Amino acid sequence: MDTTTPTQVARTVAQAALLLAVAPLVTGYVQKLKARLQCRQGASVWQPYRDLSKLLRKGTVQSDTASPFFRAIPVLVLAATLTATAMLPVLWAPAGPATVPLGDAILLVGLLALARFLLAVGALDAGGAFGGMGASREMTVGLLVEPALMLTVFSVAVSAGTTDVELLAARRAPLLLSWTAPDLLALFAMLILALAETGRIPVDNPDTHLELTMLHEGMLLEHSGPGLACIALATHVKQLVTLTLVAALFLPVGLAADATPRAIALALAAFGLKIVALATFLGLVESSYAKLRFFRVPQFLGLGLVCAFLALALRVL
Amino acid sequence: MSVELATRLIDVLGGLLLFTMLLILAAGQVFRAIYAVAAQAVFLGFAGAVLAAATGNVDLWVIAFITIVAKAIVLPWLLIRVVRRVQISREIEPVIPVHVTLVLAAGIVVLAFHLNASLGTVRQTITGNALPVGLTLILIGVLVMATRRKALVQMVGLFASENGIFFTAMAISQGMPLIIEIGVILDVVLGALVMGILVLRVRSSVDTDIADLESLKG
Repeated sequence: MDTTTPTQVARTVAQAALLLAVAPLVTGYVQKLKARLQCRQGASVWQPYRDLSKLLRKGTVQSDTASPFFRAIPVLVLAATLTATAMLPVLWAPAGPATVPLGDAILLVGLLALARFLLAVGALDAGGAFGGMGASREMTVGLLVEPALMLTVFSVAVSAGTTDVELLAARRAPLLLSWTAPDLLALFAMLILALAETGRIPVDNPDTHLELTMLHEGMLLEHSGPGLACIALATHVKQLVTLTLVAALFLPVGLAADATPRAIALALAAFGLKIVALATFLGLVESSYAKLRFFRVPQFLGLGLVCAFLALALRVL
Repeated sequence: MSVELATRLIDVLGGLLLFTMLLILAAGQVFRAIYAVAAQAVFLGFAGAVLAAATGNVDLWVIAFITIVAKAIVLPWLLIRVVRRVQISREIEPVIPVHVTLVLAAGIVVLAFHLNASLGTVRQTITGNALPVGLTLILIGVLVMATRRKALVQMVGLFASENGIFFTAMAISQGMPLIIEIGVILDVVLGALVMGILVLRVRSSVDTDIADLESLKG
């Protein structure tokens, strides 16, 4: 299909808007699922939206030691995460190379790393002890997750011959049932990494504010009001970006090749199903495992790293 | 079943075997390692069944069935029973840190696949990449035996190694003759029984650990 620049931009913006709108719902769904598995009624799936709108109406309080840059951090984190969505095939997967290449998987992982870096810098900037601790822990996890994520992406990219995620999904879609051993290992690696990247239980606990256990939350303590809302939204979007990346790399079915209403409806349904399945996986794992002691986390992520490395090694050998 | 489908299925099952092997290596608790080796035996049984369906070898059906019954049900049950009886701590006590063994395992896999390139004449078309996977399982099983302190986890490593030998046999000769295969499985079951009883006896008469035997060396 011939992609002209304006439609391509419109598509990308539409996909980003869709991810932005749905992201808190995914978090709400996981929380509801967890509550149900614990025999609780749980908050409504719309609760994350209410939290966000509450935060947006609050004022901002800032630490005296924070520099002016601190105020810009929530916006930058959200911007980096949202830009990352532009590289993902959510509904469309053009068969040919795009006329304006927006970026590939390397840039996607780089943008997520940038968001992580900005958050850590913000936490250090505010000068709180918990912020520093949270930042150091988050960067330790990032150190293990990011290379493994790159290896997984490369392993799939080698088979498709491109690092552009949209093109990669389009090329792999017809091959869905011809999975080989490297694909399986890469999928296992990706599922392990997804747990870490979305800040879920074996690695991090998104519900806790207990100082000894929190990773990601530790960095958010100094933020308040609309800034905190931006970061919370960025966290929701990052979770959905990770899930969409898993879906794009390993289950690229149902993506629309053109803009007919039927294809788009089908793509929307497929997207919904894939995300619900992956979010259910997150909720089930979170309900059935205990959080790992922090010094055990490298062992858990090491499994993902080795799987990712082998997935690439088996593909090349 | 067509040859291509069988090759692909065995390839995928080989990937699953590798993954379960890594799970055994990364397991922090004794029970996890036992469950992982049971899952590995199930995948191995499936691989045997696939090869049986592809080649029409009746012996392989029997072997696949025995593998699933003996290695996926009886042996793990026995191990879990022993663990419950001796009431040891459930943590695995590695000699070297677990993530170091994971790195070693990655090296072993690369080595096995590298060696495989020079063994091209040995392997069959139907089993594809089964030979390096089998070699990997044998070597990583030995690695588990060498790097864990608990006798029970060393037994898990032995079973994993045995699974690897079975898979290698499948890769190069469509499985060993039925009588040999049954003999090997009986050997393993008997070995597990003897080791289980030994662990129980040693535990009940002298409260000691396998690692403590090191101090007996002159």
